[in-house]
Amino acid sequence: MEVMDRKRRVFVLGGGVSKFAAERADGNMRDWINEAVLEALADAGVRIEDIEHSTTSYFSDHFDKQLKAGAIFHDNIGMCPKPNVRVEGGGATGGLAIRNAYAYIMSGLCDSMIVFGAENMGRHVPSDVAQQFIALASDTDWEVQVAGFYIAYYAMMMVAHMERYGTKEEQFALVSVKNHRNAMYNPKAHYPMDITVEDVMKSRMITYPYKLLDNCLLSDGAACLIFATEEWAKKHSAYWEKKPTIEVTGTGCGTDFMRMADRPFPYPGITHFRGKRTAAEQAYRMAGVKNPREDFDCFEVHDAYSGVELVSYEDLGFCKEGESGPLAERGVFDLGGELPTNTSGGLIGFGHPVGATGLAQGVEVLRQLRQEAHPKRQVELNAKRGGMDSHGGTGTFCVVNIFERRD
Amino acid sequence: MGLELVENLLEVFTAEDPMAFDHPQGDPWSDFREIMRVEWKVEFKYRHVLGKYSKFFIELANHRFLATECGNCGKVWAIPRPLCPDCLHVTTWKELPGTGTLESFSVSYFVPAFMKVETPYVLAMVKLDGADTLFTHQLRNYGDLEKIKVGMPVKVAYTVEKVSHPMLLMWFEPA
Ligand SMILES: [Zn+2]
Repeated sequence: MEVMDRKRRVFVLGGGVSKFAAERADGNMRDWINEAVLEALADAGVRIEDIEHSTTSYFSDHFDKQLKAGAIFHDNIGMCPKPNVRVEGGGATGGLAIRNAYAYIMSGLCDSMIVFGAENMGRHVPSDVAQQFIALASDTDWEVQVAGFYIAYYAMMMVAHMERYGTKEEQFALVSVKNHRNAMYNPKAHYPMDITVEDVMKSRMITYPYKLLDNCLLSDGAACLIFATEEWAKKHSAYWEKKPTIEVTGTGCGTDFMRMADRPFPYPGITHFRGKRTAAEQAYRMAGVKNPREDFDCFEVHDAYSGVELVSYEDLGFCKEGESGPLAERGVFDLGGELPTNTSGGLIGFGHPVGATGLAQGVEVLRQLRQEAHPKRQVELNAKRGGMDSHGGTGTFCVVNIFERRD
Repeated sequence: MGLELVENLLEVFTAEDPMAFDHPQGDPWSDFREIMRVEWKVEFKYRHVLGKYSKFFIELANHRFLATECGNCGKVWAIPRPLCPDCLHVTTWKELPGTGTLESFSVSYFVPAFMKVETPYVLAMVKLDGADTLFTHQLRNYGDLEKIKVGMPVKVAYTVEKVSHPMLLMWFEPA
């Protein structure tokens, strides 16, 4: 897979995120989209009437009991009668939406694209019903009927990882500590917290080996990104070349069997994210990344559960299989470490309104590369490159996107 | 007044600005902070077809565990598939002895609303003898949780009681 037309390039002009919270009772999805869009337009210095196309990013029709919600978002911000398309890939929906913007612009179908995403995960249904809605994203004939649901699937993956590599519960608890801590410097975050490994270990057991604080929370929220070609940006963006120029330089997508039970051994077995390795290989090749730990300044990793972040390090090529736990203990992925991950707080600290999550990762990488992040979470720029990993199912859909600063 | 006419009204309240500190000119949405919450019940019932997979469940009721085997590449898919994803050949049914080893498990102290299952419950992935892929089901009758170990021998057990779904005609237990 090679990009044919190197003359055409896609830039990230701006981003916005609504406040993420357990429940945004002051509005619903369309209102949070409005917040994120207004922030993104102001950030990009563009007018909505100039933008040619939109992409909708949300996952579940059940949570908001509203099908075709994208039509509402799109008309709400005055985009009619211009074109819109919805993408959906479970937890990877936001990453797919960024990839979609890249594909549409590279193909010449449009020169500018606004991507907006949200999820209404809040407290309007009890959490066991919410878990049921999410479980519907696994095989409803073969897995859901035996009381399969996502925490239980991921717990089985982590037990297999512990069995195979000796990974310890305390090691993935460190991920939760880091991500809650990073969220303290993100005012939009749902769950900022200063906690210790002991706090995580002592929190209520949900599904062995995952305790309450190992899990991300259901959040309400929205996010938005605006992409365009250089020619379009020159004409329509007040901030082109006034703010640092950020380019999309890599995108990759991979998949795996819906049911973990069908995946081949030894790799990925029920331990690894094969689709993520595929996605990363494609994106790294496009962007010329050889050694991810050196070639990125920051990386947003899909930490739906703390252990997922560890396994993802291995499949994203940050380290060899089984090495992620010891590296987390050494602080390699902390702020100030070799490759800070989830500087935004990630899904665990920032929050996980599914359709917004992958876009919020993009907004974080944009802020980091422009050096606009809160000083306590701003990374040092060396490679001037940031990555994001968006992931659905049990690694069923995986998308890796790469942004780079050009100056 | 007049809101008492709304039968499904749950509450009327004033929402706070979640980002109050972010607006130099004050709360831009201040005119929109009076909030109603109503109840909306939706119920669905499906007449769900088990299609080409039905034989698996019919034979489970006869205490036989069937998998599917690809006549071309020989791969045995424990969760049945009419079409082998590896080579796109149509498979045939193959009976397995119903014994195997525990590949991984989790212990849940929480269960989503739709499942009538006592907590804690154990979800297990099992490598069945004679199959190339795994099968996911609950592990029951394990005694102490501490006794559950990856690699332990397990077997398919069959219910003699009524169940709410044909998938629950079976479970795994230590062999
Ligand atoms: Zn075959």
